[in-house]
Amino acid sequence: MTNLSRRDLLAATALVIVSETVARAGVVSGQLPWHPDAGSPPEAVRPGAWQFFTEQEAAAVEALADRIIPPDPQTPGGKDAGCAVFIDRQLAGAYGHRQGLYTRGPFVKGIKEQGPQSAQNPAETYRAALAALDRYCKSKEGGKSWIELPGERQDELLHAVESGTVELEGIDTKSFFETLLKDMQEGFFADPIYGGNRDMCAWKMIGFPGARYDYRDWVGRHNERYPYPPVSIAGRPDWTPKKT
Amino acid sequence: MREALRKRAAALAAGAAALALALPLLAANHPGSRENFAIIERGRYLTVAADCAACHTDPHQSTAFAGGRPIETPFGVVLAANITPDRDTGIGGWTDRQFDTAVRQGKLPDGKRLYPAMPYPYYTKMSREDVLAIRAYLNTLPPVHNDVDSNQLPFPFNIRSAMWLWDALYFSPGSFKADPAQSDIWNRGAYLVEGPGHCGACHTPKTFLGGDKTRLQFQGYSIQGWFAPNITNDEAHGLGRWSNADVAEYMKKGHNRIAGASGPMGEEVADSSSQMTEADLNAIATYLKARSGQTLAASSVAVNDPMMVAGAAIYQDLCSACHRGDGHGVPYLIPDLATSSTAASREPTTLIRVVLRGAQTVATKDEPTGPAMPSFGWQLTDAQVAAVATYIRNSWGHAGPVLTEDEVRKARGNLAARND
Repeated sequence: MTNLSRRDLLAATALVIVSETVARAGVVSGQLPWHPDAGSPPEAVRPGAWQFFTEQEAAAVEALADRIIPPDPQTPGGKDAGCAVFIDRQLAGAYGHRQGLYTRGPFVKGIKEQGPQSAQNPAETYRAALAALDRYCKSKEGGKSWIELPGERQDELLHAVESGTVELEGIDTKSFFETLLKDMQEGFFADPIYGGNRDMCAWKMIGFPGARYDYRDWVGRHNERYPYPPVSIAGRPDWTPKKT
Repeated sequence: MREALRKRAAALAAGAAALALALPLLAANHPGSRENFAIIERGRYLTVAADCAACHTDPHQSTAFAGGRPIETPFGVVLAANITPDRDTGIGGWTDRQFDTAVRQGKLPDGKRLYPAMPYPYYTKMSREDVLAIRAYLNTLPPVHNDVDSNQLPFPFNIRSAMWLWDALYFSPGSFKADPAQSDIWNRGAYLVEGPGHCGACHTPKTFLGGDKTRLQFQGYSIQGWFAPNITNDEAHGLGRWSNADVAEYMKKGHNRIAGASGPMGEEVADSSSQMTEADLNAIATYLKARSGQTLAASSVAVNDPMMVAGAAIYQDLCSACHRGDGHGVPYLIPDLATSSTAASREPTTLIRVVLRGAQTVATKDEPTGPAMPSFGWQLTDAQVAAVATYIRNSWGHAGPVLTEDEVRKARGNLAARND
């Protein structure tokens, strides 16, 4: 007769632990689980007051939006498309506070692929950069704030910021401009439920048919214009029955 | 210490082995299991055909036929009884005659009447031999002690004795009489549909007291938040555009070139018809397809009606990717709205429900995918759901009234109270 060996005891213990874990994981058999009303629909932004920007900051961002995406006779500019609203809601939400990202030190400059390594989150960066922009303008442009500058002068200044010839005090200026440019584009082209791309104006401009699921009927039809207008996650105006 | 551990482990192992050995012995030891195999097997098949498990097996319990599943009726909830051979809480103490009286007459051994949630008005059509075969099969099940208080109905429906009046009004006892003018296959189908299959329990319109409106037999009825569609050969609302083979295949696989079963019909396919023989399913198809119905009528809703215009836009953007622009869907995967009886049903209950909360079709051995439709309730307003449902019900040869925002609002409210 042998004694229960240490090896057997450990193996048995491991087996118990493994079976416990498996039991907790649950087994799906027969058919995939399904629940009524399933899905995690995106949350549409609430219209109305600014949620992150002050009135002054908002005016500055709207002016920036119209310099980066100027209006033309067919398409509204960044301001009327709602880019500032989009950025405002993003900064008030998960993006602004880096929700789900590692946010502690060390804060050393990393390689490009490692992304921003700042102690500041995007919300703080925007606030500081907008303040620095106004300070820069007031000191260099005869006491005028950013929004008081004529459009051509704003363009020149932005070109200088982009190329790195102008440094805003205490701000990684070039990197802020890259972020700003990216956020503006996202606001312009993202689904209207996120606050920008008002009335799908950006999609109409480039002929993007929107959040559609399937184009099989059109795969073989070359040199023909796709006839359907863009559709947002929230639909399009034609979805609502006209009152008779 | 080690020795004690080892001994305990050995004892456990021995116990488990003994149990494993004993189980088949216990089953085999049951009186007459070998001699009566043919009867028991026939009873097992009829138990499937009569879909006893639909109510008497609680899907949340591992014990088959031990009852306790809440059965939703328009009058309240009835808990299904324990029909295992347990002497105290099941039917182990019943004689064969008592079992037959309960199944075919709706009366319990103590003289009390059953509620017609138990479909005895249909089972009465079964032969005594078939009912006793079911009894023989149920006798082979392991007895389960589960005391069920069936009657959960609110006043006044909880007064069982009042059921004599219901029986007088709606219950016509008597087993099925074959029609010599019809084929054998038709008669077999009639027996299965009218008797064990109790199709009318869901598919026949009911009076305000829950009795069958026999003149409208199989013409469709709203039940448990779904509309059980017309299953006559009605071209506009029923199976008129289905072949016999389509009907049989649907019951076998839960899917065919036109439709996919979900909701209570999905359960029926899984628990019952998918396990029936091809011959019986063909017989059911023959019988149902022999019942005449209306022919197609042109839609009276103008294509430029605002509801149709909005509905067409929604259909194009949200529905056409799967159900295709021509409404024909994908055989065996995505239901064909242009030919489906659900889309055209007299009442839009199922259509509105499926658009609002989505649905999953049944997965069977033959069609194991069980595709599901996503919910659109979060994306569409009540007016938009009404518009797209109106469009579907008035396209491709369907004809139905314009739905209103109010109807959808009510449906949404009713669904919110349901967890299925």
